[in-house]
Amino acid sequence: MAKSAVPDRRIGLAMTPEIPAGPGCPDEGSFRDPDSQVVHTGGRVLRRLSETGRSDWDALSRTTFFERAVAAGRLVGTVDVAVGREGLGDGWAGLVEHEPIPFVTYPFEWTFGMLAAGAALHLELLREALAEDITTKDGYAYNLQWRGVEPVFIDISSFTPYHGGPWAGYRQFCETFLNPLMLQSFMNVDFHPWLRGRLEGIPVQHMRRLLSPRDLVRRGALRHVVLHALLERKAHGTTPSTRSALADAGFGRDAMIATVDKLLGVVRTLSWRPEASTWTSYATTNTYSGEDRAEKLRFVDRVASSARPHLVWDLGYNDGTYARAAARHASQVVAMDADHATVELLYRSLRSARVGNVLPLVVDLADPSPSLGWRNRERPGLLERPRPDLVLCLALLHHLAIVANIPLPQVVEWLAGLAEVAVVEFVDRHDPMVAQLLANKSVAHADYSLARFQHEVAEYFDVEAREELSSGTRALYALRRR
Amino acid sequence: MLLLYLDANSGSLIAQVAVAGFAGAAVAAKLSWRRASERLRRNRAPGDPEAQADGEKRGS
Repeated sequence: MAKSAVPDRRIGLAMTPEIPAGPGCPDEGSFRDPDSQVVHTGGRVLRRLSETGRSDWDALSRTTFFERAVAAGRLVGTVDVAVGREGLGDGWAGLVEHEPIPFVTYPFEWTFGMLAAGAALHLELLREALAEDITTKDGYAYNLQWRGVEPVFIDISSFTPYHGGPWAGYRQFCETFLNPLMLQSFMNVDFHPWLRGRLEGIPVQHMRRLLSPRDLVRRGALRHVVLHALLERKAHGTTPSTRSALADAGFGRDAMIATVDKLLGVVRTLSWRPEASTWTSYATTNTYSGEDRAEKLRFVDRVASSARPHLVWDLGYNDGTYARAAARHASQVVAMDADHATVELLYRSLRSARVGNVLPLVVDLADPSPSLGWRNRERPGLLERPRPDLVLCLALLHHLAIVANIPLPQVVEWLAGLAEVAVVEFVDRHDPMVAQLLANKSVAHADYSLARFQHEVAEYFDVEAREELSSGTRALYALRRR
Repeated sequence: MLLLYLDANSGSLIAQVAVAGFAGAAVAAKLSWRRASERLRRNRAPGDPEAQADGEKRGS
């Protein structure tokens, strides 16, 4: 579904002031800022504000940059909610409502291009805010989410009036945005395990140690890594006193804007060329005939159009053809693949085709994002997030079963727990691609057979449709959970 | 004074003076001047009436 006109996001928000009874459910990831807290209730996303938080919000909502950014979809739609003090709870002075995000994701699931686009958006919004004397309290990559392939800044409470001094969010920006981007761009090392392993990002000191002599001449390395690391180690004095000293010495809006511009310059220069891999060239090297591909496409289209799913997960989507087909009939498709280069190429092609409701993610289904952070509830794992209504599992089963060594019965059971409707492609062991995988294994994978697959499927699903592809080694199944 | 829940780290704040380029140079110059004049004041004898007067001013 190509979207060339950007809708006014505010219109999509429910304007009803009544809050469902009950305290609502506090967002497990929203607790560090004493001036604001996100609450989920009745499918709505609300934010409680303290006196300070409310005055910050008032200042933000009066700016022209806020209105423009929301209308353009770069900032999440937010409106005031009228509610009496009794309805707010102790210590809270105001309430706003946010437009919900279709599917929550985290930076360790994004591609290089996505992280870079997010970094650029964060800085651009900060720059626009500064022109109206507003700054952000932090520079966290978790301030952003995605709508399809469009990044959106969601942490409205991060905005606060600017009173001079340098940016408080600079270090966080370096650790959660710049360092991971440099790791990928300079060294071609995937940043995902680093960000997944530490929510605070890659420490400045560690990045310094990773840089090779060759990297030191790359744009941004000296200032934002070498010098930054040196000053982080050597600087004395408390943060508030340093900030006031710098503000008194004249570090004001101009210097802040200059800092942001320099960072933006570095972010825009950082680039990554995904290496050709087995997967990026899959579209040409796979053994499907053109006829089989067309048949597969028609099958997916038929199932998706009759299921009319709200949320689709396309697992191991490769070139995204089937994700796009499903996207014509769904509100949102989340397309997951473990190969970073493949996902990056899909991200770029979705952007240039202006597809609005497919979100590409880097996910290894044999090791999906776990729940992280405080109490391991702050950032819910992939399987804790909303489950899909339809799951596409095309040419993936043999990867989980043979490459990842997961017993076939467990894969089928797992699929049954995921979604009510599933499209699964079973690739027989005599298929050239599977035969190749098996040739590399000393284990026989005796349980990987069509008979076994059909037996397992019958435990959980009704087979609504079945089609064998002309190659004779692959079959498509439309399954409905009992 | 602006109170933020996030500790930005003094070094990260100072680093931005260099990042800001030309705009930061003026700040850096002022900071160095202030540090230099503070050191000059401290180097004067403790009984120096000028030093005492300055100390009183800073304390207010």
